[in-house]
Amino acid sequence: MGMKDPDRASSKKYAPLILAAIVILVPLAAPSRYFLRTLVNIFFFAALGCAWNIIGGYAGQLSLGHAAFVALGAYPTALFLLNWNIPPWIGFIPGVVLALIVAYLLGRLVFQLRGPYLALATLAFAEIVRILLLHFREQTGGSLGVTIPFRGTSVWKLQFASEQPYYYICLGLLGFCLYVTQRIHHSRMGYYLQAIKENQDAAENLGVNLSGNKVRALMISAALTALMGGFYVAYFYYIDPDSVAGMDLSIKILLVAIIGGVGTVWGPVVGACVLVPLTEISNYLFGGGRAGASLIIYAVILIIVVLFSPRGLVALLPGGIQSYRSE
Amino acid sequence: MHTGGFVLPVCSSGAQVEFPTPAQAGAFPREEIGTGPREMNTITLLQSIVNGLMMGGVYALIAVGLTLIFGVMNVVNFAHGEFVMLGMVLTYLLHNYLGWDPGVSILLVIPVMLGVGALIQKALISRVIGQSDETQILLTLGLSVLLTNVILLIMGPDYLSVKTPYKLSVVALGPILLSVPRLIAFMVGLSFSGILWLFLNRTTLGKALRAVAEKPEVATLMGINPKKMHWLAFGIGISLAAGAGSVLTPFFYTFPSVGGLFVLIAFVVVVLGGMGNIPGAILGALVIGITESLTAQYLALDLAMLGVFIIFVLVLVFKPAGILGKGKLY
Repeated sequence: MGMKDPDRASSKKYAPLILAAIVILVPLAAPSRYFLRTLVNIFFFAALGCAWNIIGGYAGQLSLGHAAFVALGAYPTALFLLNWNIPPWIGFIPGVVLALIVAYLLGRLVFQLRGPYLALATLAFAEIVRILLLHFREQTGGSLGVTIPFRGTSVWKLQFASEQPYYYICLGLLGFCLYVTQRIHHSRMGYYLQAIKENQDAAENLGVNLSGNKVRALMISAALTALMGGFYVAYFYYIDPDSVAGMDLSIKILLVAIIGGVGTVWGPVVGACVLVPLTEISNYLFGGGRAGASLIIYAVILIIVVLFSPRGLVALLPGGIQSYRSE
Repeated sequence: MHTGGFVLPVCSSGAQVEFPTPAQAGAFPREEIGTGPREMNTITLLQSIVNGLMMGGVYALIAVGLTLIFGVMNVVNFAHGEFVMLGMVLTYLLHNYLGWDPGVSILLVIPVMLGVGALIQKALISRVIGQSDETQILLTLGLSVLLTNVILLIMGPDYLSVKTPYKLSVVALGPILLSVPRLIAFMVGLSFSGILWLFLNRTTLGKALRAVAEKPEVATLMGINPKKMHWLAFGIGISLAAGAGSVLTPFFYTFPSVGGLFVLIAFVVVVLGGMGNIPGAILGALVIGITESLTAQYLALDLAMLGVFIIFVLVLVFKPAGILGKGKLY
């Protein structure tokens, strides 16, 4: 996002267009498969970060259990595909509906809690989902997970031998998440959420319906997260309780948003652009077997961001946080 | 299998594939869990309760440290489980290379971790005292991920066990069997928790800690340096967690992500007992130990934590101040 141009107004006008053109044209330039996979990973985590941001960033309700919604989206998609041959683009719907229902019930139950209590309740919720997925192994495959067989390119089943289709699907999903966030940002609900984040009691005194708005934000966030869970199945062909409902995934989702910048539309994109390549570099340097290395790097970045730049990396970019807040 | 590095189930939780709950990693003696004949039911029930109590004693020691840190500093330490893990790793190393018994190691582990705690408090935690909950949670969460993975890098993901000569010894109490290492862990857990309570209530230093917990401004006016009290609280809190780690090693696997199993239990216990309430934490720990054991016995071994979490969510929602009401280091 080069903004060295002194004529900031014109650069601001054209930079996004040029960037969008590059992003759309990249796969056509026939780069390596690995390069495209990395980009798909960036889009995937940016989208998850965006979804988390709605409840965790805008409303300031720290959720440590968002992986559970990925699992709620992924498991129905995978099981429908495996057992009844229902393609992921239909199979994700029950997952999203399930996530909406669970988010509604969870929200009603826990949103009277604040601060650490809320964080702990969401953490416990995700653990309950993970333990149940591990326990009911006849239906879910338990710790062995579910493997989707690849049976040749099929548009109907969203199975492709090449990387390009996944690239555009994931880009489209990220675009959708950004669009939803953008709409919320400029809506009445967006202002309510920000008021709740700044000061819940003051917001309530001014007539903001606290639990209604929080529950609605969680439901939107959960639905988008479950949607990405459906994509996870289509793209990775394999899920198990630890990879889609584990605490590591929950932490990565919130890291993407927090490192990028909470409560901003583009923050999660910046966060994913930093974190995903860092993972690849550390895997390259230390070998995939030393998975601990990349998590050490995240942890250090998280600690540094929390201590020195609590508004995230977007605050350090030229133009400051304002230029990324909206638009 | 996919190759997207960022999404792979990394080793930090890879261990949990095998041990999703403490019950499976060794919280209860498996050989004693079984479906006995019908007339054995009372004995099975008693045995299960006793097993839960034993583990509850260890949970108490972990939880009083967490509740002390919360009471004095108002910080929720998400890295607490990792200090249990560090205690276990230190004890394992002392056993493996110097042949020390865990009961001896604990005497070294506690003072070492007291110093480590004071250092971490000074370098990291002190910077977020009085800041938003979110900031504190994220900092301690970062610390937790850091510690887990540094140890993973150094020690590898293997399950390590400390083989003491009394590992399989049991004491028979009528029909109930008490495993010796568990009994030791239980007694150490309860007595150290009790010592902490006495320290807070009977010594000048302890009373100074409580003063900072209750009225920091007044305590400062009385000449108590709150910063020093924060070092002390964090140091004591995590060294007790590490001490619990020491006594766990003879019957519980040591591995880098083991802390994740305990931190959740400790939170449940602390919330159940009332945040900052020491007797509440001890009582809560025994309740949770028994709950976990009974769920493992009568529902399923891998659902042991489910009972614990359900109690947790119910307490959070219906009685967030805990079973003994809200209290600060009483």
